[in-house]
Amino acid sequence: MSLLDVHELCFSWPGREVLRDINFEIKPNELVSVLGVNGAGKTTLLKCINRILAQTSGRVRLQSKDMVNLSLMKVAKHIAYVPQNVGTNFPMKVFDVVLLGRRPHLSWFVGEGDREKVSESLHYLNLSDFAFRRYDQLSGGERQRVVLAKALAQDPNLFLLDEPTSDLDLKNQIIIMEKVRALVKDSSRASSALVAIHDIDIAARFSDKILLLHEGVIHAFGPPQEVLTPENIAHVFGVEAEIMGDSSSMRIIIQGALE
Amino acid sequence: MGDSLSIQHQEQGRSQLVKMGLMAGLTLFLCLFALGQGSSSQLDVLTTAKIVLGLESGTEIQSSIIWELRLPRVLMAIIGGVGLATAGALMQGCLGNPLVSPLTLGVASGAALGAALAIVLGFSFTTIGAFAIAGNAFVFSLIVVFIIIQLGRYRSISAESYILVGIAITFIAGAIVSTMQYFATDAQLSQLAHWSFGSLARPDMVIVLGIGIVIFGLMPQAMLWSWDLNALSMGGDDFAISTGVNPSQIRKNILVLSALMTSAIIAFTGMIGFVGLAAPHMSRLIIGNDYRKLLPSSAICGAFLMILADTIGRTLFAPVVIPVGIMLAIIGGPVFMYLLLQSKGVQR
Repeated sequence: MSLLDVHELCFSWPGREVLRDINFEIKPNELVSVLGVNGAGKTTLLKCINRILAQTSGRVRLQSKDMVNLSLMKVAKHIAYVPQNVGTNFPMKVFDVVLLGRRPHLSWFVGEGDREKVSESLHYLNLSDFAFRRYDQLSGGERQRVVLAKALAQDPNLFLLDEPTSDLDLKNQIIIMEKVRALVKDSSRASSALVAIHDIDIAARFSDKILLLHEGVIHAFGPPQEVLTPENIAHVFGVEAEIMGDSSSMRIIIQGALE
Repeated sequence: MGDSLSIQHQEQGRSQLVKMGLMAGLTLFLCLFALGQGSSSQLDVLTTAKIVLGLESGTEIQSSIIWELRLPRVLMAIIGGVGLATAGALMQGCLGNPLVSPLTLGVASGAALGAALAIVLGFSFTTIGAFAIAGNAFVFSLIVVFIIIQLGRYRSISAESYILVGIAITFIAGAIVSTMQYFATDAQLSQLAHWSFGSLARPDMVIVLGIGIVIFGLMPQAMLWSWDLNALSMGGDDFAISTGVNPSQIRKNILVLSALMTSAIIAFTGMIGFVGLAAPHMSRLIIGNDYRKLLPSSAICGAFLMILADTIGRTLFAPVVIPVGIMLAIIGGPVFMYLLLQSKGVQR
């Protein structure tokens, strides 16, 4: 059974088509990366799945339930979306930001279990030292991890991550992707992740599957070694690339821009 | 028991409650002091406190001064402060904008227009003499609330659009009031100016209690929205949706509720603006931005500021009484600026 089933999904702004006939499935415990150039529709795809944007046509099903029939609160119980930049005029303490992840699960009062979950998430992402710092006093990378911790505290079946490593240094990029992958691969729970990302190398290294978006259409979808071919990379990104290594350790070397 | 972070979080929560308790205690003390301030020489602060607390039964005149003259005024200060500060905190949160106050949406300008129509043209929807001005102010502020509801029907209306429409309403209503002032007699002009100062002396006990029922009746609903406000004010619309909150719907509901609170007060007291901006910000500095605690502490802060400003206004140049709206800005403004700058200094 698939965890997420996207069927014939289309989205347009008035006068501009952004996504056309998107069909794909995500199975439990799978990490799928969405690759594509700026404006290819990566963020739009994530937003449609999370009901931030209403699709023009098509269907999104989560655990075979049609998402349109679910309230946003129900959706948030199952899907945790991490937007690109969460800025704020009214910053809270990091612990309280992460506590917002428990919002879909609690009535009004915060229980011991909710606090435990928040602590766990903070520990897992190495944020314990920041727990009582103000969100606005953190660096961009630290903020990104806080919002990820909030998603983790939400205990979802599906993580939708929009460029989760864009503000992170090299080491933290690897650490965070390893942690996301470990979460997804945790067999005690059926959770998956759909990650919009720019870095082809990171995507190839950590993903089970790659979804290659080109001008709002799926150009290719499958395991990294099948999707990330020199031909596909040239077609979608307009660069010449050489693929080294085998399926277990792929390296993509970008030679230069194509005319 | 939980791990150290959970425990620390619980402890911080408790210390916030203690701070709020202290603020409430200080406000109550100020209430007693305010009840003791006035022109009657036989009623000093101590005697008043004893009578109010039931330790001493005062003379008939004494109790009549306290219960019929001073109490409605102090109650109105509490209710007005609570309502305007709560409305300000709610609106800042749901619009994600620290510059917003209860006057931003144009509710008060609507009220001013209603008052001006009643005073200058003698036009009023409410025919009862005593209510001609306040009642008409209330009706016109409700018209603005109605406009906000209509705006909320557009699913894609943004926080900025609400603010811009509010500013437009303020300009339009202001222009009409100015036009009427141009043609008004001197007596009407002075009455209009007097209305716009904002005073706690106008409403009698029945009105005060009526406004109190509206404000305290709406408070529980506001508290229920705390989590939604946290999500919205913390991270904006997309972040709120990812937390299960429907931003456009909740924003409309919150704005309507705060506009109702604002018009219920402003229509009967006249323009009182500053407390709705300053009280939430002072609470943010003391308690933080978690709305579960911010709403009650803003309410307490609002009541405190109003009573303080009104008491100083009554005593500073006694027997001349300076309207509370003016005193609030004169005293509150510098204090507010000091607190803000100090907190920025700490950040650096």
